[in-house]
Amino acid sequence: MTDTVVTAQRPLLETSERRRPVGLLLVAIPVFLIAWLIIWPIINAIGRTLWRADANGDVGFTIASYVKFFSDQYSVDNLAVTLWTTGMCALFLLVICLPIALYLRFSAGRLPAYVQALAIFPMFVPSIILAYAFIRVLGPNGMADILLNSVGLPKIRTPYLTPWGPVIGLVWDNIPLTILILLSGLGGVSNQSIEAARDVGAKRYQVFWHIILPRITNSILVALSFSILGIFSSFTLPYLLGPASPEMMGPFMQRTFREVNDPIGAITQAVITFGFCIVFGLFYVRSVARNQGK
Amino acid sequence: MTALAPSRPRLDATGIGFAIVLTIVIVLPLLVVGTWAFTEVWRYPNVVPQQFGLRFWNQTLGRADVWSALTLSLQLSTVVTLLSAVICLPAAYAFARMSFPGRNILFFSFLAGHAFPKFGLLIAIAAIFLQLNLIGTFWGVVLIQLVGTLMFMIWIPVAAFQGVDRRMEEAARDVGAGPFRVFWSITLPQAAPTIFAAVLLSFVGTFYETEGAWLIGAPGIRTMPVLMISFINNQMVIQYGAVLSVMLWVPSFIALMFARRVIGGGAFARGFGG
Repeated sequence: MTDTVVTAQRPLLETSERRRPVGLLLVAIPVFLIAWLIIWPIINAIGRTLWRADANGDVGFTIASYVKFFSDQYSVDNLAVTLWTTGMCALFLLVICLPIALYLRFSAGRLPAYVQALAIFPMFVPSIILAYAFIRVLGPNGMADILLNSVGLPKIRTPYLTPWGPVIGLVWDNIPLTILILLSGLGGVSNQSIEAARDVGAKRYQVFWHIILPRITNSILVALSFSILGIFSSFTLPYLLGPASPEMMGPFMQRTFREVNDPIGAITQAVITFGFCIVFGLFYVRSVARNQGK
Repeated sequence: MTALAPSRPRLDATGIGFAIVLTIVIVLPLLVVGTWAFTEVWRYPNVVPQQFGLRFWNQTLGRADVWSALTLSLQLSTVVTLLSAVICLPAAYAFARMSFPGRNILFFSFLAGHAFPKFGLLIAIAAIFLQLNLIGTFWGVVLIQLVGTLMFMIWIPVAAFQGVDRRMEEAARDVGAGPFRVFWSITLPQAAPTIFAAVLLSFVGTFYETEGAWLIGAPGIRTMPVLMISFINNQMVIQYGAVLSVMLWVPSFIALMFARRVIGGGAFARGFGG
């Protein structure tokens, strides 16, 4: 497809004919790195888990490593907790970020500027510092307990080392990008269209449901796809804040690779995460590509 | 962005609500960490520490592992950022200004890394590095972190080069400037602030990169974030982690100041598909 586009443009570009190889030369190294360290590992991972040597040493097609994964209760539990965490995070992100983004889009002044600055702030907090702050605040005898105790209330049941730990941390971490993407989508909703709806007597929620929502559906899906891709295989926060068992796929893969020393098992898990995320990945890439093409 | 509801009362209750909740949820945890860094004694259930002081700064900074991790992290970030700039900036210029076969598909190939769950991809890369004996080596970590900077260091500079006013370049060419002179005197100065922001972001991003360094680098390569993980996991003196957090915070803060224009401009969100 690209080739035909280029051929069609050729007559227009006669002046740059001479430069063509230079352009390819300039992009060669980064493109090579992408091919070697992104594309090849993926193909290699799929290949190595599907074409393996059997007991006799004959290399052939086998799905044994996938059967092993799905017949192992511990692996399946890990996958389930990963899906649960991802779903919860996506839900909370939507419920938290959409109202904030809507508020920011339709107000101006110093207070919204402050709200926006705060909402973007987590982007500049490395997840390792976030994990530490989480433990100091919500961990046992943390700041939350201290404050509750000082007003005579009982301690919280700490989410530290429970499945809720990673959920809270990951939501906190993903708020900025979600809001930025939603805001960028809301920028495409014109004030006139909303005023027109108001003029004919539409209520606030009607304006939201019929005018705003249809126009930002794509942004919402992009924001969620992007967070889901990051959350599904997140490592640092689940590793530090989550329970040891069942664990999310990130820590599980890491442990299988480094501690259990089973690269094939780890790659199998990686390919399974690819499989679960492929829809979101393709959707995300398509949207970005379309956006850039505009 | 004009206010759409002139009838709304002066008091912006929604805004105040968001501001209060976000302050509690986002600022408070960081304040607690900051307080711990300057605390010598803080026993439950006191609301404020019993004793403030800098004792733990001396202890933390006196640890050899902290210094070696800091040096290593700075070395890694510098090497990765320089390599990334050297290979990506010319490529960004080519993508922005030149025409060559397969340009579009190659440009979007940089998205490939973002279409897969990151840690799964790292595992797949690690499996290849295992065969190449790159696990636990400095250059293995450099490679993995370099890949992480590629998209950033290409897409942002491409936008910068595309934003340069072509008429000024043509004017310079008309009065006899050669292509390099035009690039050096016209194109580069206009694109420089955005490119600088991209370089800075990739430096800071590499500095904090945890997962690749942990997966590929361990046990030989202990960067600052990897050291933090072990401080958190082994439940050592609480203050060590706090002091490190405050120290680590500084580069991030500088990035925040410089990167504001890039991120505020909405270009950033568009780069992520918004």
